[in-house]
Amino acid sequence: MSAPAETPALPKVRLATTSLAGCFGCHMSLLDIDERIFDLAAIAEFDRSPLTDIKHCGPCDIALIEGGVCNAENVHVLRELRANAKILVAVGACAINGGLPAMRNRLDVGDILNEVYRDADGVGSHVPSDPELPLLFDKVYPINEIVRVDYFIPGCPPSADAIWKYLNDLILGRMPRLDHDLLHYD
Amino acid sequence: MLNLETAQSPHKLRRVAIEPVTRVEGHGKVTILLDDENRVHQVRLHIVEFRGFEIFIRGRPYWEVPVAVQRLCGICPVSHLLAATKAMDLIAGYGPLTPTAEKLRRLLHYGQIVQSHALHFFHLSSPDLLFGFESEVAKRNIIGVAAAFPDLARRGVMTRKFGQEVIRHIAGKRIHGTGVIPGGMNKALSRADRDSMRSAIDEIVDWSREAVGLVVRLHETNPGFYKTFGESRANMMGLVDKRGALDFYHGALRARDADGGAIFDQVDYATYQSVLQEDIKTWSYMKFPHIRTLGADKGWYRVGPLARVQICDVMPTPLAEAARRTFLRVDAGRPLHGALMYHWARMIEMLHAAEMARELLDDPDIVGTELMADKGPRREEAVGVIEAPRGTLFHHYRAGDDDLVTYCNLIVSTTNNNQAMNEAIRAVAARFLSGRELTEGLLNHIEVAIRAYDPCLSCATHALGQMPLEVDLVDAGGALVSRLRKG
Amino acid sequence: MSASDATILIDEVPVPFAPGQTILEAALSGGVYIPHLCHHPEFEPHGSCKLCSVVVNGRNASACTMKAAAGQEVEVDIPDLHAYRRTLVQMLFVEGNHFCPGCEKSGNCQLQALAYDSEMMTPHFVEFYPRRPVDASHPEVLLDLNRCIQCELCVRASRDVDGKSVFALVGRGMASHIVVNSPTGRLGDTNLSAADKAAHVCPVGAILIKRVGFSTPIGERLYDLEPISEEATRCAVGAEK
Repeated sequence: MSAPAETPALPKVRLATTSLAGCFGCHMSLLDIDERIFDLAAIAEFDRSPLTDIKHCGPCDIALIEGGVCNAENVHVLRELRANAKILVAVGACAINGGLPAMRNRLDVGDILNEVYRDADGVGSHVPSDPELPLLFDKVYPINEIVRVDYFIPGCPPSADAIWKYLNDLILGRMPRLDHDLLHYD
Repeated sequence: MLNLETAQSPHKLRRVAIEPVTRVEGHGKVTILLDDENRVHQVRLHIVEFRGFEIFIRGRPYWEVPVAVQRLCGICPVSHLLAATKAMDLIAGYGPLTPTAEKLRRLLHYGQIVQSHALHFFHLSSPDLLFGFESEVAKRNIIGVAAAFPDLARRGVMTRKFGQEVIRHIAGKRIHGTGVIPGGMNKALSRADRDSMRSAIDEIVDWSREAVGLVVRLHETNPGFYKTFGESRANMMGLVDKRGALDFYHGALRARDADGGAIFDQVDYATYQSVLQEDIKTWSYMKFPHIRTLGADKGWYRVGPLARVQICDVMPTPLAEAARRTFLRVDAGRPLHGALMYHWARMIEMLHAAEMARELLDDPDIVGTELMADKGPRREEAVGVIEAPRGTLFHHYRAGDDDLVTYCNLIVSTTNNNQAMNEAIRAVAARFLSGRELTEGLLNHIEVAIRAYDPCLSCATHALGQMPLEVDLVDAGGALVSRLRKG
Repeated sequence: MSASDATILIDEVPVPFAPGQTILEAALSGGVYIPHLCHHPEFEPHGSCKLCSVVVNGRNASACTMKAAAGQEVEVDIPDLHAYRRTLVQMLFVEGNHFCPGCEKSGNCQLQALAYDSEMMTPHFVEFYPRRPVDASHPEVLLDLNRCIQCELCVRASRDVDGKSVFALVGRGMASHIVVNSPTGRLGDTNLSAADKAAHVCPVGAILIKRVGFSTPIGERLYDLEPISEEATRCAVGAEK
């Protein structure tokens, strides 16, 4: 009888992350898993992320999106991750409902720009207009108004324990769920 | 030497972009214009984000502002929480803080500096310094560091964790807590929480010393390179206390020139608009502040660790001060301006913050229960300034009798460094990129220079105020004929 | 509780009721939670939020307005109703500007607590981002209509308890909104006082006492300590005793 074949090592879970019009707090909360990051590194690897130097996303299993959509560049990045990720998760208030940046939605963005970049004479304004600057949108949008989103982790930011629970559920194939102590919007 | 801010004939040149800049907070983009021989003609760091916070916060009640404004940044929310509350203390009419309240705020701030500096050094920058600027992309991140240097990575993670736990104990959450309210604090520190932090702090101080040691050893592998990489001679600004000592939480403004000479000192930060001015350029949402008396070309300045450790007369804790004295001797006492020197200065600051935290944890006032100051008459306008991890942070507000905010102006730490970062990357481009075939590793050199400043780019797209209008008249060949300035 | 008290079945569990009680009142007194928002034990039932919708003998009803009667079989904790309540909460969220992270009511807010209870993970619908006024003209009380959910608790409290009729709901459908009873329309020109019931009855952050925001630390706020399903029944059962 031949020896049983060795079980091949499972491929690492590929995680992509991005912060669109977010404050980076959700990424910091992800890093608040502290030493659990070493456990994560054993089974996962990062694709495009602010924490790596991979500038464009390849095929990946889970994409964590922080931040809402405030300009054209956000849309391109969001669509790139949606096209490449099997599962897309909206993380935090900004991705889910626009968050703090969406407080500008009740105002006209042109008025805001003119006010912020007003000239010394107080009358004219000098709004930056170089083509290198992405087009600003009239409003800040939650990401599910732009692409299909598979899961949502609320919080501002969600706690590391909430993100960790969710990641574990997704990676291990369970239905992701947060108990009362982990579900917060603030 | 070419002025690398604006190329003479951009339409003839080839564009290369670093987009996004990675391992920094927020969104930045670098564009480089090159000719057919790969000579660099233009390098710009564009800040492509815009929030408009100063406008949309108008009409909100003043006590809501600190909790909202800290959400400009997820790494340094405590800085905004404290700076905004320092202003609201005055607007609400509160007198001096109780000793316990001030010490709790200071402990919170030192905890924040420890976590932010640890994050920046270990999680964001160390891959370049440990593996090399042109090392393999797949490994050049915190996971790669953890695989190659597990003990070091572990310490970095645990040092950051300590700082975050300090924040959680005082503000209620690690990120975007409350805790700090106009007039004082909303919660006393329990003895159990204090004891838990006290039992961990000695190790954090030791690790911070070793982090300084690590940067020193890295520097010693190639002193000339470390000293001059991304060098841009800059004026320097920061807060110092009445004695001229470094004080992260409170002080007055001091500025020194690139040679260490005095520009201004002990300036009340409420009068910041009389010493600083902000310019707009068309190609970045982030503004360009400079010292008024020196004008836009010569008045730009740097803030943050590299400025602070050099403009103060002393750091009031022994281990950090000793490390600072060693640092200052690198160029025979002359001020240091290389971008990588930031890392050394930053670890000295992390050590100082850890030592200050230890002092407070040994102070019985820290578990006191008198949390609120006495209240007097309301004020209509106030400024709150603090030394955030990344540099001097200005919050300026006005509120009406109905308690609603009518005016807000922010100069956020990284904004102060706008010109300095641009100068640094131009220096790198001129020295390392110009005339060469551009590889990913070479482009990373530019990012390394930016990263050294620990920029917080989401924060930095804020300011409102007096700005001059500048019009350049150029001839058909692109040469400058005349420049008009108003304001 | 005497042997002759009638009972209803709620999710197959017998719950006693006193004559005249609504299903909601009977449930809460008996320690059974039915989500609700516009209900207040001191006021007449309103029946507007519909969060207390239950199935009674196979038909939908508002538990707050339907009187309990012997023989009723009431279903509360079923998947259809969970989804329905969640959708109602989602609609309430997208209609206003409910920015929990910056709001001082967070942690003490019934709308938020109900959203947690119904496991709302996303508001789902397209956000309205309406322009709503803030009235800070009163020296002690802030009126922020960004967060108003038109539950009319303030209207009822001011009219029936304070005897002042400071607030009223005007308009129809999506245009309905709270107005203030003064010639200028401003709260500062009414006789509202900070001690009034109407100044303390708002379940969300639309009517707030000024200058006390964020004085309760995170972890000690009402719904940090227990979910609304436990808090509401604890209060109701306590009130019975």
